[in-house]
Amino acid sequence: MAGSSQRESWGEWVDRHSGTFFIAPAVTLILIFAIFPTIYSMFFAMSRVRFTGDGLKFRFVGFRNFSKQFFGTDQVHFLGRTEPVSILAMIIFAVIVVSVLVWLYRSRKIATWVGMLGRTVSASMAIFLTWVLCASLLSGNSIGTLYTTLFYVLVGCGIQFVIGTGLAFICSQPIHGKNFFRVIFFIPLMVTPLGVGYAMKMIADITKGPFEPLLRLFGIENWVWSADAWSARLVMVVGDSWQWIPFIFICMLAALENVPQDHVEAAQVDGASSMQIFREITWPQVVPVAVTVLLIRAVEAFKIVDLPNIMTGGGPGTATESMTLHSLFVWRANDMGTSAAIGYLLLILTVIVCASFFNYVVLGRLRRTKA
Amino acid sequence: MQIRRSLLGLIVGASALAGLSPAAFAGEFDGVTVNILTRPGYVIAGRLMERGVEFEAATGGRIVVTEVPFAEIFPKIQNDWSTGTNSIDVGVFAAGWGVELDAAGLLEDLDPYIAKDDKIDLDDIAPYFREFGQKVGGKTKLLMVDGDFQMVYYRKDVLDNAGLEPPKTWEDYLDIASKIHGQDMNDDGVADFGSCIFKKRNAQSYFAIQTFAAPIVQTHGTAQGFHFDNSTMKPLINNDGWKKAFELYKETGKYGPPEELNMDIGDTRAIFKAGRCGLLVEWGDPGPLQLDDDATAIKGLLYAVSALGSMEVLDRATGKLVPVTSENAPHSVDGINYAPFAAFGGWAGAINKNATQKKKDAAYAFLSYMSQAAQSSVDVTIGATGYNPYRLSQLASPDLFVEAGMPLELAVNYIGAINEALNSLNMASDMKIPGASNYTGVVLDTELARYLAGEITVEEALENIEAGWEEITEDFGRDEQIEYQRLALGSGN
Amino acid sequence: MSDASFKFEKSGRSLMERLFEPPAIGKMSLVAKIVAYSLLAIWSVFVLFPIYWVIITSFKDAAAVNQGPFYIPFFDFQPNLDAWRAQFNIDRFCDLTSILRQVYLLVHNSFVFVVSPVISLNPMELQICKIYLAFTNSVVISVVSTTLCVAVGSMAAYALARVQYKPKFGNILVFVALLVLVIVATTYAGVPWWASSTVALAMFFFLVRSVGRYFKMRLGNNDILFWIISQRILPPIVVVIPVYVMFQAVGLLDTHLALIILYAVANLPIVVWLMHDFFANVPIELEESAQLDGATRFGIFWGIVLPLTRPGLAATTLLILVLNWNEYLFAVFIATVKVQTMPIMVAAKNAGEKGVFWWEMSAIIVVMIIPVIIMSILLTKFISKGVLQGAMKG
Repeated sequence: MAGSSQRESWGEWVDRHSGTFFIAPAVTLILIFAIFPTIYSMFFAMSRVRFTGDGLKFRFVGFRNFSKQFFGTDQVHFLGRTEPVSILAMIIFAVIVVSVLVWLYRSRKIATWVGMLGRTVSASMAIFLTWVLCASLLSGNSIGTLYTTLFYVLVGCGIQFVIGTGLAFICSQPIHGKNFFRVIFFIPLMVTPLGVGYAMKMIADITKGPFEPLLRLFGIENWVWSADAWSARLVMVVGDSWQWIPFIFICMLAALENVPQDHVEAAQVDGASSMQIFREITWPQVVPVAVTVLLIRAVEAFKIVDLPNIMTGGGPGTATESMTLHSLFVWRANDMGTSAAIGYLLLILTVIVCASFFNYVVLGRLRRTKA
Repeated sequence: MQIRRSLLGLIVGASALAGLSPAAFAGEFDGVTVNILTRPGYVIAGRLMERGVEFEAATGGRIVVTEVPFAEIFPKIQNDWSTGTNSIDVGVFAAGWGVELDAAGLLEDLDPYIAKDDKIDLDDIAPYFREFGQKVGGKTKLLMVDGDFQMVYYRKDVLDNAGLEPPKTWEDYLDIASKIHGQDMNDDGVADFGSCIFKKRNAQSYFAIQTFAAPIVQTHGTAQGFHFDNSTMKPLINNDGWKKAFELYKETGKYGPPEELNMDIGDTRAIFKAGRCGLLVEWGDPGPLQLDDDATAIKGLLYAVSALGSMEVLDRATGKLVPVTSENAPHSVDGINYAPFAAFGGWAGAINKNATQKKKDAAYAFLSYMSQAAQSSVDVTIGATGYNPYRLSQLASPDLFVEAGMPLELAVNYIGAINEALNSLNMASDMKIPGASNYTGVVLDTELARYLAGEITVEEALENIEAGWEEITEDFGRDEQIEYQRLALGSGN
Repeated sequence: MSDASFKFEKSGRSLMERLFEPPAIGKMSLVAKIVAYSLLAIWSVFVLFPIYWVIITSFKDAAAVNQGPFYIPFFDFQPNLDAWRAQFNIDRFCDLTSILRQVYLLVHNSFVFVVSPVISLNPMELQICKIYLAFTNSVVISVVSTTLCVAVGSMAAYALARVQYKPKFGNILVFVALLVLVIVATTYAGVPWWASSTVALAMFFFLVRSVGRYFKMRLGNNDILFWIISQRILPPIVVVIPVYVMFQAVGLLDTHLALIILYAVANLPIVVWLMHDFFANVPIELEESAQLDGATRFGIFWGIVLPLTRPGLAATTLLILVLNWNEYLFAVFIATVKVQTMPIMVAAKNAGEKGVFWWEMSAIIVVMIIPVIIMSILLTKFISKGVLQGAMKG
């Protein structure tokens, strides 16, 4: 019971349980501020919530906030206009449904029951999204916030990936000033999205922006990009790409620089053209990194809110509203129930799409590369 | 160790001294800070800040103005006060929004303060604003700093040149707009626009549409309203009256700037000051705004019409439009029914009931200071402040505005238009029930924006608004809303 | 060029080969070089032009903005400081002496806060120069939350790299189920939250001892890692409303602490993900030998591992710092008056109905992005040597 030995045993006890102590703060914080609110949010989503003089009052309404988005008054806002459906759209829909079902059937043999459950979920989401796409866009109708978000994710990430990888490829060649370009290209990633939005708004202005002489040259000085749904969305993608291509650039550059040069040089000595070298040697090495980067970028892209908020306030009508922005506007209207419901729908969409991509593409690629 | 200790001692000593720092003067509200939340300035907020400096010099009470985007004012104040956070002491917002806050018991009753205040001269405030704007449930809960309703302005020179009379109905408006659209109205060689209205979503568009709809739907005086069937609170929106208003509103876009759908009030003010608009739907500000230095193109040329009317009105039983007669529209003049719309009701300040008493005293003193004729009459003549006349002394004669630089003829026209609206028995009130900002600012605004952008048809828009309004009414309780509507419109008290 | 054909024959390469094929291993052909440099140049212009435009717009006055685009200062238009003066003049609390006094007040108030358990002093109300307040708030919140985030995150990452965890899946299910019960009880049945939480906690320990024994399935380190990293998928909008209510219940709305905690949690996954790879790459022999010498785990972590991963740590810190600086969504919900950060100020001014006051907005944006650009230039030094590439291998 001497003082020093007591202190030692206390210290030893802490050290023995250091595993717990090291990880406890992170786990606790995540439990309290991420997991708990997510579950709590479900209760918001299933109620009508009101602020009264003494706190919040919940009125349970079941799934009404959700069904409003799919079948009720908010359907056109959320899903888009889904009728009339054109013949072409129905054919495309049928084709895709059949291929998804065939894929599902074939996986019977190679997946566990948990895996089958997951695949069924992915397949259902795929069929639902395809139906919305066919009924709305492919039939010549307008799309809602669901597909606007998907547009930002799919088209945006696609463009960003292609351009980012291209730039990385160029920078990985033996050129001068590599570090200079690296520094310059990295800057947009760090600028606040609000600032990016405002800068883009200023630049894209028709009468006072820097492109005005150019527009006048082409005779389109009366065209207003913010008045047309698709041009507004495209401008969003441009702004988003300006900000996020650096991310892809940095990651892909790191990956490309990791490709062992001796293989490349050996191939060059053998007389292979640059195209062949890229396709056979470089690309397979960077594919794992590429799909990971794409996944990370997609996860972030689902959350886009600052840019549409600043540049168009949701666009002509609701054309550039992403789901997060939709939820934000609804919150401003003090309708916390619907706001939480839309947030949840976004969460479900993001999780299923990203998990599917991760499981079938990323892991698939990794398995194939290791084989 | 030695250094650390002496440093510590230094800091403690300095803090103690700082805590004792003497005030420069011993004012009544020394050491009291009043936090005001309002929209981004210079409009409204700028003047509050400037007058706040004067107030501090006189009394020692510090005024801090925080600005948030217009659409966030109400949610932020409501959240702050109902959750007990109490960061905000005074909210300056639409007079009509106070009802919902008062229903939750969050507003300080101002009658006791007024009783002790001998400078505010309450009788000078126009009866409409004093009774409808400031009072909730018979007690004064807000102090007006500005009086609002929408009017139509026209470029006198442009209309005279085209040989056109000022419009009386919305059909006239469209007619004139079509005839003057494309003319060069400010001698810069570029074609200008027939009509400029702020149609941007989440901005002020939802006020303008009500200015179009009011004369079609409201016929029997202010107490009738034009949003709901007052006995059942069923929305009165899905009918031919509002449909016509929507269609007229969209048609004005044909004669407007190409980016009109993305223009809020700041943008339209910029272009009409540059002289590019022939017709406007606006509040009282363009009157004095045309005297600004950057409005030389239009100085003295922008005349006002108190309201445009309609030759057809809504038959509420059938939901169809019928021509105006003296039975179905007793306030009509020459077969045209007018209903000036008191859009927004006017900016007013309300005090947080749960603030400390010292803060409430200082807050009331400041609001009173803003409202007193000595300050108010100066502010309403400066267009940039966003404050429009609401006191009888400001509206009795055109002298105030002539002194500010208006030509006499214009001042007479301007004051006349405002007085005509204020004296109208069929003046249309903005919504003054709980959820008001929700009904109009969110549901109506969103569906209107989507209709203007061509996303949905007018029938769908009206259906969606009806469903959205019903949902809000259910949230607050239909019976409670019926009662609030009766209070808001009935006797006003 | 007149001897061109002669030269070609001499070197044995045709014109096409000269243009399109690399002259030697590890070099580029002429055409390839031209294409590469021009593409890079175009992209550099695309990247830098908006920033340039914002900076010069902040130096324009009303006429220069409204009368059409002017491109070059001193040439096209005269730069002036209208916008900058407007930012610092709107309230009169923005001149130098006032700002110095406010710095002093900040120090004083922090001191009061620190000694508050022991001595009770009065905090002094800050005078408000808005852009200064927003800037200070942003700096304080970013720095503190980054420190918190990196500290907590690297500890967790290190543990996940070195310690084997085997939590029981059954226990986790029990925990989630009880959590749901607590929420139902508190919101719908009106039970006060401390009562239901205590009951649930007791039930948890009981159930874990008894029922938990029947569920043997255990999770591993990789599952925990995946769980932490996948938190990034959670859209903040889902979390924000309940968090708002939670903070309101404990009176932490509109305070710095609330935002600091939220930002730390939001970025924790990134820190864990990045640092995990760095720690995994530290040779384990170093740690084992230190352990033999009797060092505690924390001692090894602090004294050996962290110094070795300093570049990665610095890169992560800078990245998180910038992410916190730019964050908008949480701030808009939690902050009302006292904790307005710079993004909120930008958004509020953007919504102002002043019309086209672009020069003032540009000035604010420049204030926002200059620190960030400096930080990003510092950051690329760490990126250049592939410091972050290790994380990609995950």
